[in-house]
Amino acid sequence: MFDIQLMGLLNATLQAATLLFIAALGELITEKSGILNLGVEGMISIGAVTGFMTAINTGNIFLSVLVGILSASIFSSLHAFVTVILKQDQTVSGLILTILGLSLSALMGKKYVGKKLPVKIESVFNIDEPKNIIEVFLNQNYIFYLSIFLMIFTAYLLKKTMFGRRLEAVGEDSKAADSMGLNVNKTQFIATCVGGGFSGLAGVYLTLSYVPYWTDNMTSGRGWIALALVIFGGWKPYRTAIGALLFGFLEALVPRLQTYGFELSPYLVKITPYAITIIILIGLTIYKGGRTGAPSNIGIPFFRESR
Amino acid sequence: MNKYLLSKKLIINELSTFYSFLIGLSIGITIGSIILLTQGQNPIEVFSLMLKLSIGSVKSISSSLNKATPLILAGLGISIINSVKLWNIGAEGQIFMGGIALNFIYISSEISNPNLMIIFLLSSSFIGGAVCILFPAIAKVLFGVNEIITTLLFNYIVIGLTVYLVNGPWKDPGSLNFPAAAYVSKEVYLPTVFGRLSYGFVICILCTLGVHYLKEKSVFGYELRIAGGSALTAIYAGINAKQKAFVAMLIGGGLAGLAGGVELLSQTHRVSTGLSQGFGYTAIIVAAITGMRPFGIFLVGSLFGALTIGGSVIQTMGVSSYISDVIQATTLFGALIAQFFFTYKIIRVSEDV
Repeated sequence: MFDIQLMGLLNATLQAATLLFIAALGELITEKSGILNLGVEGMISIGAVTGFMTAINTGNIFLSVLVGILSASIFSSLHAFVTVILKQDQTVSGLILTILGLSLSALMGKKYVGKKLPVKIESVFNIDEPKNIIEVFLNQNYIFYLSIFLMIFTAYLLKKTMFGRRLEAVGEDSKAADSMGLNVNKTQFIATCVGGGFSGLAGVYLTLSYVPYWTDNMTSGRGWIALALVIFGGWKPYRTAIGALLFGFLEALVPRLQTYGFELSPYLVKITPYAITIIILIGLTIYKGGRTGAPSNIGIPFFRESR
Repeated sequence: MNKYLLSKKLIINELSTFYSFLIGLSIGITIGSIILLTQGQNPIEVFSLMLKLSIGSVKSISSSLNKATPLILAGLGISIINSVKLWNIGAEGQIFMGGIALNFIYISSEISNPNLMIIFLLSSSFIGGAVCILFPAIAKVLFGVNEIITTLLFNYIVIGLTVYLVNGPWKDPGSLNFPAAAYVSKEVYLPTVFGRLSYGFVICILCTLGVHYLKEKSVFGYELRIAGGSALTAIYAGINAKQKAFVAMLIGGGLAGLAGGVELLSQTHRVSTGLSQGFGYTAIIVAAITGMRPFGIFLVGSLFGALTIGGSVIQTMGVSSYISDVIQATTLFGALIAQFFFTYKIIRVSEDV
């Protein structure tokens, strides 16, 4: 009995962590280029609703995932246009992207509230009751494995490829990168849209697997936790993954505490992941003494003086 | 091949923010119309109805201004915090905390004079808002923890606390299905000036003047600007930048708390999850769109109040009230785009030379 509960907890941890991790990984790529995008919450919503709508109308999972990724990516290009090309304030633009994404997705999804999905992203190996850790891992769906691949791929991309080095150069010192002949605007624009696509994937995972239905504001702050995860992970993919597992564990553990015999108000229990996030952030900042690993140019628009 | 370079304009039109706002608003309304068309509605019909229901009569104007009050108060708070180049994304939580603090004091104290009690209650809501931002402010000033994330996460904590209180300790048995605290007594309702217009709006006017004075005319406002500028300048000027940032955050949070207090005493009359309907987030748009100018916040806040009232009444036509959120957000995006053309000029240079 206890084993089944434990495996259930592990399973829920992996599911919650997958969503947070994919969004955080996308934001990490964006921020590496020196662009801060606070619109994660909005981009996840857009990906979630467009993916859900496609799934309802076509019943094609692959198409739904693709539509979710692309629409969130196109949506994030609005942020890229305003901050990269037009050099406007990244904080303002990102916040508005969140508000716009939440309200736009609510408008689009209005007719889809309460509808049942004809299809769902299935787990790769269908195991009814996982009995050990290996079976829990095998019981996850394709997006979980994709996220592991993306983690390894992104780490490789950032450290070993030209694109990664360019990204880092632009994010650390865009003026120097520019004088080296790199196209700063193009790099930042691409990085922002890639980050949007990742958020879109997280959104699709939310509506097609994690909670297979659609309601307004169903992202419930996960985009903001993803932003905190990037700081937590010190802008490194593997550390971000560890952070995602930790936060996923909290999200999975909290509703289960009562079944383990803890007498707690369910309303107060719901706020603990947010409170713990804040405490971890503070602890981490103190521990690192201000050297958080943030790209030096983050939030500063690149502006080439006319010569 | 031609290349395009940007150059900052030396002289920026003083009214550029205002013009950008107008351009943004027209973009916002255009996009709103397109969305209405896709939903099979006639935009002209919807917008004229919105206008009629938001500013068509004294009654509706006063409802709009009442709705604008929390937006303006929270927006003013955000603008004070932004003068030290910090962001307060937690106004939504601070509004709730203002209401919670007010109700807590209301339950646990007895003052016979209602006017005195109102002043006392509103002060407690201000303190509640300040307490709500205290933790992020300490974390920022002492350890340099990113205030955007911490203030935002506090929204979820405070709203969770509200849900707990109205379902548990404060639950009014009289409110059957909707979890809410008990109503406050009629004696402490904020009186109305005329029509439905609450004295909350008068508080709002006073706060706008006060914040304008504080930011633009007072020594404190000057010190805030220095503290928000370069760290070295602040040291040379003998200004304790961290202390200024801390005080600015507390005042800003307090103003958002006051917004919650005013909303409770003039509109909802009780604590519930409906105390704020995203006012804290809309206030960010209001503050950002005006370039953090107090009088601008007052005007745009009033307009957005009307838009929100208009948005909520067109729900009866089967149009989602999210349409006003979309219009507000695209207005700001449009204004940002317009602002670019006021601050930069594009120079074409030939590379073949």
